[in-house]
This record gives sequence, structure tokens and C-alpha cells, in this order.
Amino acid sequence: MAHAIRVTVRLFASLRDAAGADRVDLSVPAGTPVGAVWGHLPDPVRAVGLPDGARFALNHEWTLPGATLRDGDEVAVVLPVSGG
Amino acid sequence: MIALSPGPLDLAPLLAAVADPDHGGTAAFLGTTRRGEGEGRVVGLFYEAYEELALSEMAAVAAEAGARFGARVAVAHRVGRVAVGEASVAVAASAGHRPEAFAACRYVIDELKRRAPIWKQAVFDDGATRWRDGVSALDPAAAR
Repeated sequence: MAHAIRVTVRLFASLRDAAGADRVDLSVPAGTPVGAVWGHLPDPVRAVGLPDGARFALNHEWTLPGATLRDGDEVAVVLPVSGG
Repeated sequence: MIALSPGPLDLAPLLAAVADPDHGGTAAFLGTTRRGEGEGRVVGLFYEAYEELALSEMAAVAAEAGARFGARVAVAHRVGRVAVGEASVAVAASAGHRPEAFAACRYVIDELKRRAPIWKQAVFDDGATRWRDGVSALDPAAAR
């Protein structure tokens, strides 16, 4: 069995509303890529859907979905933005 | 000066932050909350930010404007509830001459709108709310 690592996923806007929290702690297999955290999120969050324009951040920096997660990492799911 | 503000924005500190004895032009922009945001009557907007990355992205945009136009830049964006008529975002940019000051100001607001991890939620007079985040059923940006 793959070694498990702990990561935190920051959620915003509709995803935060669906989760009822601004972050979710997950245990995922070592080697999991950033983009794969979506599949580990609670059902109410995944029910919102992930739009094409969604991006990811890793430890407060933009990242690609293929980047490998490490224990203690913080991922953010960044939906299409609407500031300004 | 790069800031997220829970309270009303004030241009004075932004203008002071970009003051430069070698700059002859200063341009400023305010993005103001308006009523006509889709269905129903909007009474306000609610802004949420991924604060750590919003601040660093706003700083990056300001640095780019500085490098591209020789400008000094200050930016402040509201978080939380903003009533119709209030400013949601303020940008000030100074440069040696007015073409660069105007261009830097325009660049900063355009890039902020495109890149900063900040989201707005429309608040309607019947109490309904709707995020503009690409996943609302009535959001034109939603992928369906």
C-alpha cells in the first residue's frame, strides 16, 4: 500500500459554500499530483463541478496540476476569478 | 502599497504611496460596485480573496507595471461586503509623463481582473446571492 501523506486544500466561493469550510484536510497516497486532490474532496464539493478555467496553487504559488504533492502541502483550488 | 481592505478604500494613501519628485503624471482608477449585474437588482457585492496569493499576485502585477512603464504603483482591493456606489478596487500609478502613468494604471487593473484570486458574489434585493466563479448556473462564465 502506498505511503499516505497529509495535505490541506483551500476552497473559495461556491466550493467553500459547498464544503461549509474554507479548507479541507486530506490524506492521499504519496506521489499524488496536485490536480488529483479534486477526486478526494467531499461529495458536496465535487457536486459543484470543476470548470475548465480552474487553476491550482501550491503553498501560495501558482502550480500545474501535474506537480507532485508532499506531506504538509497546502493546495488551493482557484475557480475562474472575478475581482476588480 | 499593496493591500486588501475590509473597510472603505481611500485614494489619499495610494496617491501618497506613488508620489515621486521625478514623476510628472499620476493616474488613478476606481472600480465601483454597480446595480446592473445580471438578474434582479443588486444591492451590493461580497468579495472573497485567497489572501496570500492575491497579495503576491497584485505585487507581481505592480512590479511588472514598474518595469514596463517606469511607474510607481499602489493597489487596494476590498474584501467583504461592498455597497452599490462604493469602490471595490483602487489603483494609483505615477510616472515621468502622462502616457506611461495612464498605461500603467490601465495595465494594473486589467491584469488584476484577469489574474488575482479574488471572487465577487452579487447580493440581490430579495436576499439571494450568486458567485461569479465559473460554476453558477446563471454565470455567463460557467462552463456548461
